[in-house]
Amino acid sequence: MLTTSTLLLAGCSGDDGTPVLTWYTNPDDGGQAEIAARCTDAAEGRYRIETSVLPNDAASQREQLTRRLAAGDTTMDIMSLDPPFIPELSEPGFLAPVPDDVAAATTEDTLDGALAGAMWKDEIVSVPFWANTQLLWYRKSVAETAGLDMDQPVTWEQLIDAARDQEKYLGVQGANAESMTVWVNALVASAGGQILQNPEAGADELVTDLDSDAGRAAADVVGTIGSEGLGGPGLPTQAENESMLLFRGDNGSFMVNWPFVWPATNAAAEEGAVPEDLIDDIGWAVYPQMSEGQESAPPLGGINLGVGSESQNQDLAWDAIQCIVEPENQSYYFISNGNPPASASAYDDPEIEEMFPMADTIRESLDQAVPRPQTPYYNEVSTAIQDSFTPPSQVAEGTAVETGNFIEKVLRGEALL
Amino acid sequence: MVAGWWILTAFITVWCLFPVASILTTSFKTPGDLSNNQFLPTSWSTMNYEEIITGASRELFLTALWNSIGISVIATFIAVVLATLCAYAIARLNFPGKRVVLTVSLMVSMFPVISLVTPLFNMWRTIGLYDTWLGLIIPYLSLTLPIAIWTLAAFFQQIPWELEQAAQVDGATPLQAFRKVIVPLALPGVFTTAIIAFFIAWNDFVYGMSLTSSEAARTVPAALAFFSGASQFESPTGAISAAAIIVTIPIVILVVLFQRQIVAGLTSGAVKG
Amino acid sequence: MTTESTAQPAASRKKSVRPVKSKRTKAEARLGWWLAGPAFFIMIAVIFYPLMQALWDSLFSYRLTAPDDREFVGLSNYLTILTDSVWWSGFAVTVLITVVTVAVELVLGFALALVMHKAITSTRGFVRTVILVPYGIVTVVSAYAWYYMFSIDSGYMNNWMGWVPGVDSDLNWFAQAGSALTVIMLSEIWKTTPFISLLLLAGLAQVPEELSEAAAVDGATWRQRLWKVILPNMKAAIMVAVLFRALDAFRIFDAVFIMTNGDYGTEVLSLLAYRTSIVRLEIGLGSAVSVLLFLCVALLAFIAVKVFKVDLARGQGGKS
Repeated sequence: MLTTSTLLLAGCSGDDGTPVLTWYTNPDDGGQAEIAARCTDAAEGRYRIETSVLPNDAASQREQLTRRLAAGDTTMDIMSLDPPFIPELSEPGFLAPVPDDVAAATTEDTLDGALAGAMWKDEIVSVPFWANTQLLWYRKSVAETAGLDMDQPVTWEQLIDAARDQEKYLGVQGANAESMTVWVNALVASAGGQILQNPEAGADELVTDLDSDAGRAAADVVGTIGSEGLGGPGLPTQAENESMLLFRGDNGSFMVNWPFVWPATNAAAEEGAVPEDLIDDIGWAVYPQMSEGQESAPPLGGINLGVGSESQNQDLAWDAIQCIVEPENQSYYFISNGNPPASASAYDDPEIEEMFPMADTIRESLDQAVPRPQTPYYNEVSTAIQDSFTPPSQVAEGTAVETGNFIEKVLRGEALL
Repeated sequence: MVAGWWILTAFITVWCLFPVASILTTSFKTPGDLSNNQFLPTSWSTMNYEEIITGASRELFLTALWNSIGISVIATFIAVVLATLCAYAIARLNFPGKRVVLTVSLMVSMFPVISLVTPLFNMWRTIGLYDTWLGLIIPYLSLTLPIAIWTLAAFFQQIPWELEQAAQVDGATPLQAFRKVIVPLALPGVFTTAIIAFFIAWNDFVYGMSLTSSEAARTVPAALAFFSGASQFESPTGAISAAAIIVTIPIVILVVLFQRQIVAGLTSGAVKG
Repeated sequence: MTTESTAQPAASRKKSVRPVKSKRTKAEARLGWWLAGPAFFIMIAVIFYPLMQALWDSLFSYRLTAPDDREFVGLSNYLTILTDSVWWSGFAVTVLITVVTVAVELVLGFALALVMHKAITSTRGFVRTVILVPYGIVTVVSAYAWYYMFSIDSGYMNNWMGWVPGVDSDLNWFAQAGSALTVIMLSEIWKTTPFISLLLLAGLAQVPEELSEAAAVDGATWRQRLWKVILPNMKAAIMVAVLFRALDAFRIFDAVFIMTNGDYGTEVLSLLAYRTSIVRLEIGLGSAVSVLLFLCVALLAFIAVKVFKVDLARGQGGKS
């Protein structure tokens, strides 16, 4: 037993002597496994990529990766990383530095938002693979009744008024989960603010910036939707999937959500779970603004690829990463799994336009997107925000400043989360 | 009176089986039905089972199932053998430190599993037991041994050991006396203990989640968190329900086959000589 | 162990008066440790080392992702925890769950045990089988079953329970502590009542039938027999059942983790320990939470054994 496991840990070569690269992937619809197979073929025997799946939610993925990296695992060849958690891994040196030529080759035409998410302390520390952003999805019938011109940017206030007048529900994510931080960060950033003043500082010096007009405005939007019941009864436990279900229902009006809702809703329509004509009633636009005329800062998501600093096949891993992020693989991943490319040229694939008529809006949104605070203490910051901003019905003007103080106390080890 | 018993029986049956039935019907729902807020699916579909047995989650689920079976059976076997020896000593022998053994096993059984996870994780990493079967079997022993020792010790204390001496007086050798008289009395208890220990090992979630990281040793309860919907944001409700039903099947089989033994074992005080 | 050697002490037991330090007792002691030793040392090894490690780690400010900042802080982690309302609310919720579930399970379990004990032959086997299903089912599965039942997105309970005051189609069970804890406790009660009922059934079987019959002949009502004959004779079984379940309930983790992940005032101590040391990777603070959790459990057991005189070792010590 012991010998077998030691062998498994130490030996990274397959039966035929081909080096095996382990790629830790987040769960998807099989796209990463397919790309791994394609790149294995393309490597012509230089290496073989095997995928190992991580848990479902971002926080658990981070937890698994961090613990293995901290323990000096030598099999962490390629990792699918959620951008906000990258500084935490980069800071203690868990990630191998990106070789200059790889960085140059893989970020040539990366969209701005995605590139920002790959940086830590002005250096590229991971390679963008796909980039996600939230759009404003709307029911055309509701927007029409409200008299909104959806070709022009709309504001949260307009959405709230429309939902209130028509007694409909807004699709937002009010659950005590990562999606809450996504929302709060987008609101704060759209109002021209930021959550942290000095995200690169250590735990003791980190200063929050929520005691600001932007912070209070964000709390006001969340609190208004929560306390007036505009998010529906399920709001306190509603994450992305649940808000999509709400949006599809009779009370659906507007929703901020990732592009997965498009293939998912089409599939549901084919299956007959939602009315056929629902698809025609769905429109999309760039994320809503906080105040009229001020460009919004949509959420940024996606996955970057990194290499563990203890990996014994780093050169091959970087080689494989270059293959994985090839624009045609990114387009394939978008078409098959619904996750938008980080590379601009990947959008040229004609099939994309057919499958995702909102591809241009996604690109536009990705250029405007603002990442969540990049700090090694992101997990604490995010959890504290989630705790303070849920349930949304309890959020009031004071929530912003309280959250700020709470984050600082937690980071100084003076409070539990 | 008889009718009353039947009504009572029906009531107990519904209460005990309803949640199982609930997840069973959920497992036959199509993705569209999952949010239909109904007990029954509008159209019955086996697609969730296909997903985990032949579909995309096949590898994930089937290896986890195999790990669960293997690890639980081995841990149960070791625990029962060790606990039988230990419980025999406690029931029949006078030795210094007997109370210590019992106290320690009580302490172990009440130890918060969570507290062990981080140190065990670090230790397993160093000695190469992380993400291996043995790396789960050992902590599973800490879950199963205490209850096995307690159950068996209590059980052995109720065995009328005088019978053994009586048999010897009647001319049997000590070995014969033990085999013919004591073993048949002790076996139901050992068997019951094995089933209880298996249930405990099969039930584990925390260790399975924390001490594994790949298909090499991940057990089913932990694997449930790894199912995915069609995209990372969609809930894998259907796949989870189908997997939940499959891990429940062995339990139901054991219960149906050995109901008498489980109950008889636990009520072994009724042995009246 | 061969059967021969295990059979040996049976003969030695004939000498009920123990001579001081005779060869016999020495041999018996050695054999005792040979038999009990392996189990004992495995338990010690799996528990003792990690416990010591946790105690040691709890004195440091130590974060797994910042190994260089590790710093000795004495007892300040404990101070932080014990002055934080998060700990105390987790404590309160854990105690609440323990008290309510154990109390309800004791009553239900006793009723079930009576049914199993008295059931007419035609239904007895069936009832026992049915009761064992929840007992054997995986806690995580039970948690998912109850969660999906009540969830506002997939559940149907709001439809079914529309006649109950306070329940309508808009009730989000997992959005506030009261209703969320109700579902969590229901799933715990459903899952573990059979365990208690089986232990109680064992106790019930030990009540001498003659006593109860004699009382009945003397004209005692059923209730009198229950309180005067049955329950006193079952005291030991009840105490053991309650203690084991209480210790188990106090460590509740799976159901809360699956259903609410501790949101909205449902956080329990195990989850707090998990979130601190595993999720946040704050090894120092997390170890301190773990140690405190262990102390709570130990205190609970101590009280049970000392105050309520649950004689768990009701073996040799009591007999001789």
